[in-house]
Amino acid sequence: MSLENKKLMELYRKMLLVRAMEEKHGRLLQEGKIQLMSHFGTGQEAVAVGVTGPLRQEDILFGTHRGVGEYIGKGMSAKEIWLEYMGKKTGPCKGKGTLHLCDRTLNIPGLVSSLGADFSMAVGTALASKMRKLNQVTLYFVGEGTCNQGEAHPSMCMAALWKLPVVFAVCTNQFCELSYMCDHYPTSDVAPRAAGYGIPYEIVDGQDIETTYGATAKAVEHARSGKGPYLVEYKTFRMALHFSGDPGGYVKPEDLVEWGKRDPIDLCQKKILDRRILTPEGDQKLRETVRAEVESAVEEAFAAPDPTVDDLFEDVYAERGVR
Amino acid sequence: MGRKISFLKALNEAMAEEMRRDPSVFVLGEDVRIGAFGQTAGLVKEFGEERILNTPIAENAITGVAIGAAMNGLRPVLELMFCDFAMLAMDQICNQLGQWRYVTGNQYGVPVTIRTAVGAGFRMAYGHSQSLESQLIQAPGLVLVEPATPYDAKGLLKSAIRSDDPVVFFEHKKLVLGGVEGEVPEEEYTIPFGEAVVRKPGKDATVVAFGFMVYEALNAAQELAKEGIDIEIIDPRTIVPLDKDTIFESVAKTGRLVTVEEGRIRGGLGAEIAALACGDYFSLLKAPVQRVAAPMVPIPGSPVLEDLYLPNKDSIVRAVKRVML
Repeated sequence: MSLENKKLMELYRKMLLVRAMEEKHGRLLQEGKIQLMSHFGTGQEAVAVGVTGPLRQEDILFGTHRGVGEYIGKGMSAKEIWLEYMGKKTGPCKGKGTLHLCDRTLNIPGLVSSLGADFSMAVGTALASKMRKLNQVTLYFVGEGTCNQGEAHPSMCMAALWKLPVVFAVCTNQFCELSYMCDHYPTSDVAPRAAGYGIPYEIVDGQDIETTYGATAKAVEHARSGKGPYLVEYKTFRMALHFSGDPGGYVKPEDLVEWGKRDPIDLCQKKILDRRILTPEGDQKLRETVRAEVESAVEEAFAAPDPTVDDLFEDVYAERGVR
Repeated sequence: MGRKISFLKALNEAMAEEMRRDPSVFVLGEDVRIGAFGQTAGLVKEFGEERILNTPIAENAITGVAIGAAMNGLRPVLELMFCDFAMLAMDQICNQLGQWRYVTGNQYGVPVTIRTAVGAGFRMAYGHSQSLESQLIQAPGLVLVEPATPYDAKGLLKSAIRSDDPVVFFEHKKLVLGGVEGEVPEEEYTIPFGEAVVRKPGKDATVVAFGFMVYEALNAAQELAKEGIDIEIIDPRTIVPLDKDTIFESVAKTGRLVTVEEGRIRGGLGAEIAALACGDYFSLLKAPVQRVAAPMVPIPGSPVLEDLYLPNKDSIVRAVKRVML
């Protein structure tokens, strides 16, 4: 599919912001200025931003801990994310979530650490949408590693059984934590599992933003129109290691070279320049603006107030205090 | 008052009344349209299949579904048939359900009520008989309820469904299936969490008993009375929050404390209360605290062995006599 210039620019800007955010996170860790471990999604930006692109504000997103792609994609700001990442009182979760990003105003209910627990939660939010007759889709964004959790199967089963408005968006980045996918999977694809529950599916290129956006838009429309769940698998490659403490040594250099030739941001940049949406100078300027946005968000977050001892005991129950 | 109904009927009435009152309440679980023990029986006739939702056999996933539905504006009442099976949902219950409000900085509360059966005595051996309440006392953010009478079952379940906090509601099988009857008013009422009841006043020793063990304690009281020992029986009704004031006001009077639960002894409910007694109320005690609980073995299926395993009237009598020495 070919996107309108305005939409393509919006997605391109978001992808640049995602990468700038993660690069900054890496530098801050190296410099010892923050403690929060990272799980970068470098190279997967067209998936994270593409799957959230077709969502409306009222649609619900469950994302992963891998980078900030889908959160930026759904509309969270650099400032909001940094306030939370640094555990500040003025963060969206008051500094109690850090990497567990959540924003109720954008219908992002949060993210889990025990991978796959949210598979069934996404079915639950979609069940509520249907029972409450809301025109609302839930998009469950998940990696192929997590799809081996037991949760995956009853979740797909119930989504199909009850014909719920949920899209399962599987980001196959070739790695399951510190292993190649082939160590965890007897097959190269995850998506055909959907067929076992009668859920339609599609497998698409995850490097091209117009493809990821287009495939997701189709799946979201399917779910919104009452036809039930849909699964899309996006093929991409994680250019980063699993997390900031990852000893590495397991990634084949030739894979980095090969997939690096189809970097999603480079591919999108080419479209932007070829279609004369931006000049090369305009592109440079945009990149500087995005980096400056990240810098100022980080500065603001460093200066923001920390929570206090009172906050430790707040929000355990609806009424203040512990029981 | 005057009207007497069963524990089972009390639970059923609580769910029906709350569903009539609030369209966001719905029931889900394995076979809830029939009701394996009967708590949810007949509800589908009034409320339809959408609000009485049969689920696949997948405890962790259906708990996740309930959590998701609660995040999106509903008040699910989830049945996990046996608490033994609730262990399959420990990630959802302990890692997610109780902690979600906190980790999201109060953006998302998850008002889920989980009803689950506890209790042995049916010769069903290790996997259908346990009382695993104490497995959940380490998890923050949960309310834990265990009623002993039809009156409490109804009033507390209604409070649980209305609560903005997640509640795990333990129903003892002997109360559900044994046809225990009690007075339950026709009129609307709820019971607040964290308020214990003195089941029997007494002056010599305080016995704190949970759920079905209240009845064993009442039987023990009759036997002890013959020997001139007058115990006070306290039924906390909610494990979390725990009504420490009522328990320790009683201990201030008697100076002696015995805890009684059907679950196992190590790290149990009694251990928690005994620790509170030692830490905060040591000066009240005239004798060491005694805990009545099950031993650290799996529940055997043999009727002979199961009866030996279970705490009962006799073990309570023995424990009270030890604190009276």
